[in-house]
Amino acid sequence: MISLKALTKNPFKSFLIFASITIAVMAIFLITSVSQGVIGMYSKMIKTDGDVIITQKGIADTFFSNVDIALLEEIDAIEHVKSSYAMIVGASPVGHIPIAGIYGVTQNHLSHYKLSKGDYPKQGEVLLGNTLAKQLKSRTVKIGNKRFKISGSYSSDIGFEEGGVVMNISDAGKLFSRSASFILVSADSPAVTNEIQEKIILLDDEIEVKTTQSFIKEYNQFKIIENSSLVISSLAFAMGLMGIASVMSMIVNSRKEEFGIMRALGKSRLFIIKNLFFETLIMSFSAYLFALVLSLAILATLPHIQMLQGYVNGSLTLTTALYVLASTIIMALIGTLMPAWIASKTDPVLLINQGCS
Amino acid sequence: MITASHLSHFYGKEQVLYDISLEIKAGEFVFLSGVSGSGKSTLLSILSTLLRPSQGKLFIENTSVDKISDLDFFRQSKIGFVFQFHYLINYLSVYENIKLAALDEKKKNISTLLDELGILDLAKRYPNEISGGQRQRVALARALINEPRIIFADEPTGSLDSTNSTLVYELLSKAVQKGTTVIVASHDQQIQDYATSTIRMIDGKIS
Repeated sequence: MISLKALTKNPFKSFLIFASITIAVMAIFLITSVSQGVIGMYSKMIKTDGDVIITQKGIADTFFSNVDIALLEEIDAIEHVKSSYAMIVGASPVGHIPIAGIYGVTQNHLSHYKLSKGDYPKQGEVLLGNTLAKQLKSRTVKIGNKRFKISGSYSSDIGFEEGGVVMNISDAGKLFSRSASFILVSADSPAVTNEIQEKIILLDDEIEVKTTQSFIKEYNQFKIIENSSLVISSLAFAMGLMGIASVMSMIVNSRKEEFGIMRALGKSRLFIIKNLFFETLIMSFSAYLFALVLSLAILATLPHIQMLQGYVNGSLTLTTALYVLASTIIMALIGTLMPAWIASKTDPVLLINQGCS
Repeated sequence: MITASHLSHFYGKEQVLYDISLEIKAGEFVFLSGVSGSGKSTLLSILSTLLRPSQGKLFIENTSVDKISDLDFFRQSKIGFVFQFHYLINYLSVYENIKLAALDEKKKNISTLLDELGILDLAKRYPNEISGGQRQRVALARALINEPRIIFADEPTGSLDSTNSTLVYELLSKAVQKGTTVIVASHDQQIQDYATSTIRMIDGKIS
């Protein structure tokens, strides 16, 4: 098959095309996946243990939200409420680590964090995520202006938690000067979620009550991340695909002499285009597969890079993978077939001369 | 065999051929001579259907080239080409280069032809693994494989020594003896020993 011959007999050129497509596809995968991963991690944190979330009214970010923790008692008394807990979410320098997530939680939520070593924290103690624990070898750690005893470490499949610090909510309250960032409520069954929501909203004028699903959909930070991610990944996508198209187009243009010779020998336009089509298909599909494997390997490695504290996590969906596959092949074919079609309509002798010049 | 009527050609705004009319009979060995820039290569490209003239008509075997529906197949079955720089496809072997040009029914003759030209032992080699003279013989084999009615050659000996040049002319002469029309554009006066007629080009016109 001429297509395979053309690829294998010009290994350096083929390698360059292969590498260009691989890098472009990897850029698309990694940027898209990391953005999706950040949103996915935070969504999972909130979705895992609650059906209803209570935040301060009119506050765009949970970091600035302040809800009265005393509401917990009244919420627990509402019919069909299975459990509720409060949480403070903050960020602070932890020891020599410039910044880490701090999770102040009520006693009934501590068991959410799976102990790897030691005990759950008492007052004045903290539990470290495994990633963070590897970087902090001492028995105590300074957070904000206070020193805490390290009670142990925990594991979590959510990168934000794995690189963070868990403490009692009262300690976190002092650190961040608030009662609770939000309260999460679990219902007996999904059918009663709205009923509970309506009852909670009557408890305080200063709160906003939403189902966790609608909160995640409407959360401003997610919208910002999603929109920025969309812009960045669209740009990466466009640049990557344009890169693929231009590399293929340059390759086709550099082979004008060859196409001129083939036309002079009586080979039809269809013959030339058909061979280029298969060359492009082989090249772009194999580069795509290679990029996919490399991207998956990098995404699997990211959470284990200590410097990143587990905060950079990627999640690659099948839809994204298929979308990128289709786009890669389409753009590679456009980049190949457009100039090939134009070249095929040019007089053979002009193609030969253009190829020589 | 070939009739050109009032052919003119422009590259952009520059006119390179001026109102050329000529007739070439079947079985002729035509020497197209002229200095560089005289327009002989352009005329050869037009006569061989590799370039559409800006003006004028070209007839091959009494058929207007404009009216040929499948010019690619016409070229493959009726015309053979030999270029100065052989223009072999570098990623195909000698055998594959000839096979690329061959009509399906002629593919079985490739080895015989290579043997006749003394290059059968090169069949599996690639163009960059053989000498300039050998490459030009491969290019000749490629031009001859379909037993074309006409062979066009543009400076076929331009990059060859005298021994290899003589060999090329003798092979072209043999084709003429078998009834093929051969038209060669060249600076090389040695061809006059073989040509049956000469067309002399000066400044885009036939002198």
